[in-house]
Amino acid sequence: MSSSSPSSPIDPSLPLRAKAGDRQAFAQLVELCYPRSLRFALHMVGNREDAEEAVQDTFVRVYHHLGQFRDDGRFEPWLFRILANRCRTVLAKRRRHAEVIQYGDVPDHDAPTAVDGLDWMEEIHKVLATLPVEQREAFLLHHVEELAYEEIAAVTGVKLSALRMRVKRACDVLRVRLAEVRRDDR
Amino acid sequence: MIDERDAVIETVRGRLRASVADQADPRAVARILSAAFAAPAPSRWRRWLDAWHLPVMSRVGAAVVAVIALAAGFVARGVLPNRAPVDPMAVTGEFPIPVTPASDPRAGAVATQFVFEAPAAQAVALVGDFNRWVPTAAPLVRLPSGVWTVTVPLMPGRHVYAFLVDGARLEADPRAATVVDADYGRPSSVVMVPGR
Repeated sequence: MSSSSPSSPIDPSLPLRAKAGDRQAFAQLVELCYPRSLRFALHMVGNREDAEEAVQDTFVRVYHHLGQFRDDGRFEPWLFRILANRCRTVLAKRRRHAEVIQYGDVPDHDAPTAVDGLDWMEEIHKVLATLPVEQREAFLLHHVEELAYEEIAAVTGVKLSALRMRVKRACDVLRVRLAEVRRDDR
Repeated sequence: MIDERDAVIETVRGRLRASVADQADPRAVARILSAAFAAPAPSRWRRWLDAWHLPVMSRVGAAVVAVIALAAGFVARGVLPNRAPVDPMAVTGEFPIPVTPASDPRAGAVATQFVFEAPAAQAVALVGDFNRWVPTAAPLVRLPSGVWTVTVPLMPGRHVYAFLVDGARLEADPRAATVVDADYGRPSSVVMVPGR
């Protein structure tokens, strides 16, 4: 996979206008970024309530810290850095309460799920839930949100080589576990 | 390349990407904007801590910070003026939305969110008995979807209100119970703000 990031749908002037105090621009940023943010948070924390809370908290923080956004920076990696931190905080709280990740309410709409008689979404969520947080985070940021490794490094503060290894390990686990499920299903 | 894609990873990627609708829920966006615009700005200390961008503060680190904060609190006690605690906004899902706990400095006021759909409007203001029907008191913010929203602090009780569209036309809130304002004979709406 190329390490370059796909072209951003975010108009680069939007975060700058929001930073200058334009509430309409901030509203537009929220509307544009909400679906990706919710998707990432859902797959990170595993349930809608926590995900929505993390996303809302993230945007509130973004709004109050727009002054720290670099004028020459890309908005999405900056947003995902804050969101990833919020998700990690949610997961840490949950660990302290010894709760179990449940993915039962993750699917958001009627996306087709059955492939070869297999409920892929359910299995994907189960496997994702077994991944260490840092591997799940790196996999989602790279393969689902399509951030470049360099951008993920900025998000997580982790070296590129370690990031690539995290993504590779997550892919390996997904391949093996989903292949096992597929074999069992036949 | 370490993480070359294959059919399984492509399938996983496709399924996960399709698992959330592409369009943002306007109500969720409205909730976020209300929370962002209404929440108090973080203190200088909070900004400083946030600037660290710590993923998760370790328990040891949290304990150290807590001890330092406690010590600082004791030191500062009696020296610094008391500041009233300010609660962050928490937003529920219906319209108009009483938002609790309120951050309004008026004791007992409840932050209440109003949402009005008017994609073609150039300006929308909330007017009512709570702001003496002053058109400039509570302008709504337009979302890209054409939904307008504002959150205002209201005292518990019954309030009559309407939306002033483009500075010229009063419209009732289609989401609320509509009544005829006895004074002006124009359609207005009623919101009941519960006591806290």
